[in-house]
Amino acid sequence: MTDFLTQIAYDRWILNALLVLPLLGVIPIVLAPAARAKHIAMAITVLELLLSLGLWWAYNPGDPAMQLGVTGPWLPRWGINYTLGLDGISLFMVLLTTGITPLAVLSSFHYITEQEKLYYGLLLTLLTGMLGVFLALDMFLFYVFWELMLIPMYFIIGIWGGRNRLYAAIKFFIYTMAGSLLMLVAILVMMFQVAKTTGQYTFAYDSFLQASPGMGAYAPWLFLAFALAFAIKVPIFPFHTWLPDAHVEAPTAGSVILASVLLKMGTYGFLRFAVPFFPEVALSPAVTAIVTTCAVIGVIYGALVAMVQPDVKKLVAYSSVSHLGFVMLGIWAATLQSVQGALMIMIGHGLSTGALFLLIGMLYERRHTREISAYGGLARVIPVFSLILVVTSLASIGLPGLNGFVGEFLVLLGSFGRHPWATGLATTGVIFAAAYLLWALQRILFNRLDKPENAHLPDLSARELVVVLPLVAGMVWLGLYPKPVLDRMDASARHYVQQVQPGFERQPATALNRAGEERP
Amino acid sequence: MTQSIDLTTPAGMVLGLLPESVLSLAILAVLLVISWRHTGPADSRRAGWLSLASLGVTAVALAWLAQAAPADPGLGLMIAVDSFRFLASSLVLLLSAGSVLCSLGYLERERLLAPEYYVLLLLAVLGMLFMVNAQDLIILFLGLETMSVSIYVLAAYSRGSTFSAEAGLKYFLMGSFAAGFLLYGVALVYGAAGTTNLVQIGGQFASGGLSLMARLGLGLLIVGFAFKVAAVPFHMWAPDTYDGAPTPVSGFMATAVKAAGFIALARVLYTCFDSSVTQWQPIIWGIAVASMVLGNLVALAQKSLKRMLAYSSVAHAGYLLTALWPGSPLGVSAMTFYLLGYGITSIAAFALLAAVGRGGERDVSLADVAGLAGQRPWLAFALAVSLLSLLGFPGTVGFIGKWYIISSVVAAGHATLAVILVVTSVVSAGYYLPVIMSMYMKPARAPAVYHDTRLSSTAGFAVALAVIAILALGVYPVPALGLTDDAAASLAQSTAESVAGQ
Repeated sequence: MTDFLTQIAYDRWILNALLVLPLLGVIPIVLAPAARAKHIAMAITVLELLLSLGLWWAYNPGDPAMQLGVTGPWLPRWGINYTLGLDGISLFMVLLTTGITPLAVLSSFHYITEQEKLYYGLLLTLLTGMLGVFLALDMFLFYVFWELMLIPMYFIIGIWGGRNRLYAAIKFFIYTMAGSLLMLVAILVMMFQVAKTTGQYTFAYDSFLQASPGMGAYAPWLFLAFALAFAIKVPIFPFHTWLPDAHVEAPTAGSVILASVLLKMGTYGFLRFAVPFFPEVALSPAVTAIVTTCAVIGVIYGALVAMVQPDVKKLVAYSSVSHLGFVMLGIWAATLQSVQGALMIMIGHGLSTGALFLLIGMLYERRHTREISAYGGLARVIPVFSLILVVTSLASIGLPGLNGFVGEFLVLLGSFGRHPWATGLATTGVIFAAAYLLWALQRILFNRLDKPENAHLPDLSARELVVVLPLVAGMVWLGLYPKPVLDRMDASARHYVQQVQPGFERQPATALNRAGEERP
Repeated sequence: MTQSIDLTTPAGMVLGLLPESVLSLAILAVLLVISWRHTGPADSRRAGWLSLASLGVTAVALAWLAQAAPADPGLGLMIAVDSFRFLASSLVLLLSAGSVLCSLGYLERERLLAPEYYVLLLLAVLGMLFMVNAQDLIILFLGLETMSVSIYVLAAYSRGSTFSAEAGLKYFLMGSFAAGFLLYGVALVYGAAGTTNLVQIGGQFASGGLSLMARLGLGLLIVGFAFKVAAVPFHMWAPDTYDGAPTPVSGFMATAVKAAGFIALARVLYTCFDSSVTQWQPIIWGIAVASMVLGNLVALAQKSLKRMLAYSSVAHAGYLLTALWPGSPLGVSAMTFYLLGYGITSIAAFALLAAVGRGGERDVSLADVAGLAGQRPWLAFALAVSLLSLLGFPGTVGFIGKWYIISSVVAAGHATLAVILVVTSVVSAGYYLPVIMSMYMKPARAPAVYHDTRLSSTAGFAVALAVIAILALGVYPVPALGLTDDAAASLAQSTAESVAGQ
């Protein structure tokens, strides 16, 4: 496979192609009749997925540096370049994005019946925006992509969303924009500081990274601006209030992409920018205390609020707040296991929460309600759906053998040595997760079949099976044999840990560290 | 052609004023034509096309002058012959041509069929050209008055509408007041420096510092300009005037008039008062912050889209003043680029507003554009792009402009102003986005309600060009940034000369 990729010079064009292909796909959608739009979008996103799969082999797992880079001038006088690159962190974010999008498109086939051209055009634009965020290695370019993906999502929520969609859409937009504009100011301040030391304007990620120790008194403010932008996106408690609204009001595909990809941009931002730029600030005792406290509050609060939701979509939305709390805990513990665990949760949450939203969407298409109390006893009526929902929920809970377990276990293991109290408290989040999901399953799938309108629901169609089965396969694979994935993120995670705490390598290997090395 | 004109000879001086002379002659010609023919729609249209041609000829003269001008024009001229003037004049001509294109169909639709409209508009353009080339306070004042008097009449042009009359009267009273301030400032500066030439004044102040009289003069000059560009707290006339004036006139005031005012202010501040940056920076800071905060917050509360755009133009005056604050060539470049971006965006926005409204567009509210996207997708798309550009969203020229302004402020080591700018920009999302939401996310009141909502072919042409430019400059602004950087450098050069000349 590697030879074949070398033959076609895959490493030279792939990142450009991934960004350009969806945009090119918008052209046939505009030109073709509306009824064809979904098929074109499907073809483009599947092609995109196939193209991106080559990254799995083209990526060199041993090298922590950025790979497959491409660069070209954009605004040369300002040192703004079109620079892309990939490492073990962005690799999985890219694959997650390209993997989820075709499923999101497929799930919309019957759900979206109005303005289809606009819808699929926006989905493809969104795909370019998301990939751009994960691939950009120029701060200006990163910022442009970061803001650019706001617009398609805003329209997707606002046009095809539920009853309260306008409120949710504008809340989503303004929250994100408030954070990101301050980040723009921080980027510019850093750029001029970099220019002071190097004597030339540059927005290159590497230059920022090298110059970041010299920010002096600016560092806390700069970190704050970056952290705010990413904290809103994650979202960390108490910046999470846009999330339930956006999730609940968005159409299924929008919720799926929000949960699977957009939330990961926040944690990706911390891993890539905020913490490596300002490790002294980020990992200082005070900031660590604040972030871990917020993360643990998020874990427990998200779980508790999820438990009392009458709306199953809202339940899953709050469960995201809880899961992302684990990720933040892992990033801030900054040990090899915790960082790998955080990455595993990011991937795993993308699969399992994406699948949950898809399944809820399918249920909604049948009954047009998301009230948990409207269901009951579905297991006897639609057994295949029920089986998949159970598996997905168990994966989300973190049952050993499914994906959720690996990530949460690694995070808890890696964080315990640093923050025993916080980790101990976060562990209860796993128990609460079992509580709210199993209780919901009981009320939806089991109990008595007491609503006559539920008695004749059709089970999953072939199209719907094609939508969810790849995700289930992914969950099982990550749960049983995550080694290939962990291997590929190993060098980058190690690199991150070394970056943020230079003394890491010299630390004696504790029993905990060794236990982490013996990965499943 | 390769030989540059000699500005020390009388003939050279005439050539140095070639664009203004050509435009004056063209105005006389148009006036002559309409005095014979001024009754029906055809006559109005003819006057419109003639004024467009006049602007075109002026642009040609400007282009010739730009390449024939000497690299070092020498000291003490009453008019500037530098690339800052050429760029500013082209900007004024471009925005005025846009306004004429938008007026052509509008005047017919609203039955405002007096072709004098175009003569007044051209006279205003002539005044603006003198404002941007003035290197002497007297020329500056003459240009400003020529422009203002024409626009007082244009604002009140809709004779049947009491609101239009109110707009004109209000603008006239406030404008005269502002002119008084400005003239008083000119007198005090003259008293302090003993000359009205900007370069010589700059030299005087650079060597001798600012006396109390000069400081008072500086303050009054800034107040006078703040009136003209509608910056808080001298903005009170703007909402009512924009609201009552015919929409293409509102667009003209928000773009070309504002551009001329800012260019002249920049020239005065940078040429005369460059040595005393610390004296005027606090004033500019205060006005800029007040404009951004008040403009954006009050715009949030508006029901009428036209009034919303009026208050948003106050906010944009604040952004532009922010670019002036650093007192650096980078800031001037940012301001000029922003004027270009804001100008083409606003021309499109006002033209589209005119398309969805009737009878002065005073009462076009959010509900009046509900569901526009379903029935008129291209109109909705153009308005959405314009609003996103006003918001400063990446991919549009508005973003590049804001980025450049923030850069210039941050480069001067002052992040607070940049933070205020971005925070108030977030507030502005609160009034731009609902328009987009209404167009795309709400159902239309009735099927085919937008049956006769359309742009005239000329306005459509202007809007299409503007939208293409908004997106193209948003993705690749390098050529335009190069032009504004050069222009700012030429202004800095004349500043340096003013210091060296003494």
